[in-house]
Amino acid sequence: MFSYIVKRILAAIATVLLVMTITFFLMNAIPGSPFLTEKSTPQQIELANEKYGLNEPYIIQLKNYVVNYFKGDLGVSLKMQEGADVGTIIFGQNKFLISIKLGLLSLLTSIILGIPLGCYAAYHRGSWIDGLLRVITTVGVAVPTFVLAAVLLIVFAVKLGWLPTLSGSLDNPLAYIMPVISLAFYDICYIAKLTRTSMLDAINQDYIRTAKAKGVKNKWIVLKHALRNSLIPVVTFLGPLTAGIITGSFVVETTFSIPGLGKYFVESVLNRDYPIIMATTVLLASLVIFMNLVVDIVYKFIDPRITYTSKEA
Amino acid sequence: MKEVFKDLSPFHVNPDRVWTELNLEAADFEPATTVEKESMVEVRKSVSYWRDAARRFKKNTVSMVALVVFILIVIFAFIGPMAIPYDYEGQIRQAKGLGPNQYSKVEETIKSVEGQFDGFYATSLQRGSFTALNKGDYVINFKGKTYAFTFTEKIKNSIIAVKADEKEPLFIVEETAIRNGEVLMKTPISFTDTAKSEAKELALSKSVFPHVFGTDSVGRDLMARTMYGARVSIIIGMAAALIVLIIGSIYGAISGLCGGAVDFVMMRLVELIYSVPEVLIVLLLQVVLKEPLQAWFESSDSAFVAVLSDLGAGIVSIFITFALLYWVTMSRIVRGQVLQLKEQEYVTAARALGASNVRIIRRHLLPNCVGPLVITTCLQIPSAIFLESFLSFLGLGVSAPMASLGSLCSDALATITLFPYRLLFPGIILTIIVLSLNLVGDGLRDALDPRLKK
Amino acid sequence: MEQKGNLLEIKNLKVSFFTPAGEVKAVDDISYNMGYNEVMGIVGESGSGKSVEAYSVIGLLQNPGKVTGGSIIFEGEDILAYNEEEMRKFRGNKVSMIFQNPMTCLNPVYTIGNQLIEALTCHDKSISKEDARKRSIEMLEKVGINNAEKRMEQYPHEFSGGMRQRAMIAMALICKPKLLIADEPTTALDVTIQAQILEVMKDLQKQENTSIIFITHNLGVVAEMCDKVSVMYAGKIVEQGDVDDIFYKPAHPYTKGLLESMPRLDAVEHERLIPIEGTPIDLLNPPQGCNFGPRCKSCMKICLSKKPPVADLGKGHISACWLHFMKKEEEVK
Repeated sequence: MFSYIVKRILAAIATVLLVMTITFFLMNAIPGSPFLTEKSTPQQIELANEKYGLNEPYIIQLKNYVVNYFKGDLGVSLKMQEGADVGTIIFGQNKFLISIKLGLLSLLTSIILGIPLGCYAAYHRGSWIDGLLRVITTVGVAVPTFVLAAVLLIVFAVKLGWLPTLSGSLDNPLAYIMPVISLAFYDICYIAKLTRTSMLDAINQDYIRTAKAKGVKNKWIVLKHALRNSLIPVVTFLGPLTAGIITGSFVVETTFSIPGLGKYFVESVLNRDYPIIMATTVLLASLVIFMNLVVDIVYKFIDPRITYTSKEA
Repeated sequence: MKEVFKDLSPFHVNPDRVWTELNLEAADFEPATTVEKESMVEVRKSVSYWRDAARRFKKNTVSMVALVVFILIVIFAFIGPMAIPYDYEGQIRQAKGLGPNQYSKVEETIKSVEGQFDGFYATSLQRGSFTALNKGDYVINFKGKTYAFTFTEKIKNSIIAVKADEKEPLFIVEETAIRNGEVLMKTPISFTDTAKSEAKELALSKSVFPHVFGTDSVGRDLMARTMYGARVSIIIGMAAALIVLIIGSIYGAISGLCGGAVDFVMMRLVELIYSVPEVLIVLLLQVVLKEPLQAWFESSDSAFVAVLSDLGAGIVSIFITFALLYWVTMSRIVRGQVLQLKEQEYVTAARALGASNVRIIRRHLLPNCVGPLVITTCLQIPSAIFLESFLSFLGLGVSAPMASLGSLCSDALATITLFPYRLLFPGIILTIIVLSLNLVGDGLRDALDPRLKK
Repeated sequence: MEQKGNLLEIKNLKVSFFTPAGEVKAVDDISYNMGYNEVMGIVGESGSGKSVEAYSVIGLLQNPGKVTGGSIIFEGEDILAYNEEEMRKFRGNKVSMIFQNPMTCLNPVYTIGNQLIEALTCHDKSISKEDARKRSIEMLEKVGINNAEKRMEQYPHEFSGGMRQRAMIAMALICKPKLLIADEPTTALDVTIQAQILEVMKDLQKQENTSIIFITHNLGVVAEMCDKVSVMYAGKIVEQGDVDDIFYKPAHPYTKGLLESMPRLDAVEHERLIPIEGTPIDLLNPPQGCNFGPRCKSCMKICLSKKPPVADLGKGHISACWLHFMKKEEEVK
């Protein structure tokens, strides 16, 4: 078990390094220097040159960049907040905190609602509730996040006035409702669909027939035998789920004008503030990779069939 | 027959009773002929895989409805623009910021006199205003004759009205000359004999076409833009799915067919690409590729590059991203299929007959894994449309004056509290496209997956 | 201890599957009785309805299957009249079942011990944890699993196929049921393992006084295990009798065909196996006459137009074939 976890962690670190390398070379592929723009002041050029040793060979530059990154030095903003330290921008101005709160809330919401809904639908297969849930989930996975966010905004904030609109901050707990629903809705629907399918799949397995032949109560057949097996595919979805929530946060934070990391990242992309783009990409990618790592380990606990010497990165 | 009879030693049943009860006779116990035996066996017609799949798909009501809806959307997006008199980039100055089915003042005026004429050359609705006016700037076709004419500078907001039974066919009505649906003053037009070579032909319309979805803040008809956006989104989705299909199946087929070390290395690469969060890389690529692409468009003058250039750097980089990152799922599926099929006897037979690898892939493997390929490709289209709309919503995909459903939503976001319908119309169309394609894909999976075959 | 009377009486049982293409009569009017401590073999090719029949006895018919007629009397009680809870208490306790594929029949995410103890506790709430555990270990040892205590903590994937089937048997017999239904329990196993499993089943049958319905298409297994045999074809029992009658005095052409198609150790040198020609009938459109008629070597005209009556050949040996109703030549004259 221990060696398995160590292996997975090493693989995760390797992937983070890979992302850093990709990011670095992509940025370097831009004509001129990624850290300089036509409007760069001489002072910035000097700063950048000093920081990244821009005259050194690429490989040394990459090494410096990686080393600096792990030291916590993420570079200096070029446009958005000229000269400000990127690390301070991301972590010091509550951007990261707001986004993490929003993301975790959405993650929990989608799991807490999605799995029971899926189980319920599978257990009452063919009932009208199952039918209704099927319609909702099928439509739910087809609605783009920004459309849902906009509809919520129009209905609940503008027309009905029930929920605070475009507050710009999340001091009021009510302000979380719409962003979280927008972020989580797709995932609730997806998880519910996934759970339903895998639950039905599990129910048709031979071991369920065995349990029935033993005389196990229906309730326990579902809760004990079917649920745990049907959770396996749901757990593997947690990785993509995290990635999806990060992606969704770009849209949701933009729509609701939430001053989080997602909105800031989009702005930095539109403004081509390269150091911020790089730092944020690596940070968010690390989050996703970390989540994948968690999934791999949780997976191991749920499904005893996974061997310790499982696949490498 | 007697021999069979001999074997039945403990024979306790009295045949007599059965014979009398059932009215049997000796002839009944004569051996049946082969023909008689065969005539009793009703062999169900064996149905070919594709016909069977088509039958199952047709029986799937939801998928059939979804297919019809998708076809309707395709008609809306591809044929619709021909049916309405507006285009996606034409700005109608008088008709800025109209709500759904609202008319501008000019249009209202024209509508008010609609019954009095048989048609209009609704000049004031055309793009631009009549600034540079020369002799024969405009031509119209009326009753088989071509008339060239021009406007005087004075007459700006005006319409040309036509009445079929009038001898002198045309006159100009200035907007100011219409009050409460009554034409107060008609100005005859002076015709010139010869038109300028670049003269614009004005099309006759019977009435003012409504702005069904309203117009945006620069006076572009939103329905025309939505149609155009839907077209762009569908084309991008299909092209991306095609790219994924081609790259994924070639990669997967090679990997599966070669096996061994080649397969190992190729699959490690796939796993690597899997583990990288793709959307972040996509955003990054969008940023990075823009400038080099534009530089490339400007420097090259081949026809292919010109086409790409028309699409714009945003769309081309979406294609590149798909080509780089999104084929991995497809390649895994194809590889799985190939590995499974490789063991089949007919492949061994083909190999034994000396067929080349290329021939085996083309003749034996690809036709046999068409089912999963079709399903995955079909489901790839909505996910590509999703990604494109996502990027365009963030302001990265297509750039103005082009429009996609995502960019339309993005444009509408700034004024969402005032004009929610500007986001809703493209948003709903986008949802319907993705929904219908998802359902069609699901239906295809159910129809083509032989494991569900009953 | 010998018990009198019938353990199981099946009368005119009919089971149909209602598919979109139409009604499939998977079991069509079959009847038989089973005594205590008896092993009954049900033989037939795939799709003959032998499993469906057994599933209806334990109430595990899956949609769209339905019992459409007849009765199943177990120890004097009609189990078709049971409600869901009564049926649940009946399953596993009075009748239990083992299945064809031991690889998929155990839940992969729970230990063998967990699943064994569950079989006990779901019928006996009062049993203590230690007792249940002790009893499970005992049961595992009985089916020949060494190191039972350690094996209890293992997961199914750590067991071999034969070991899993042993565990399944242990699980099925842990509540001391009166009847065990074995649905092709050895088909998925290696031949050597098959023999071991049959040995275990035979021993336990004697020890625990359990009756067994043994479903198989392997006649060799039947000869080794069973007292009585029913031969099924296309949803009907075509012949039934003691194992000796069936093997040495087969009356129905289908049974004969089955025997001829079976390899034998005592066969004359290079004797050829004779396959039964043709394919099983389409149950959606059953023929008007005898179901086996179109494939029968001795098929007569009447076989194609009328269903054969059942002929009693004595000592419980019955056979449904028109051949038994044929008069000798001199009688006809």
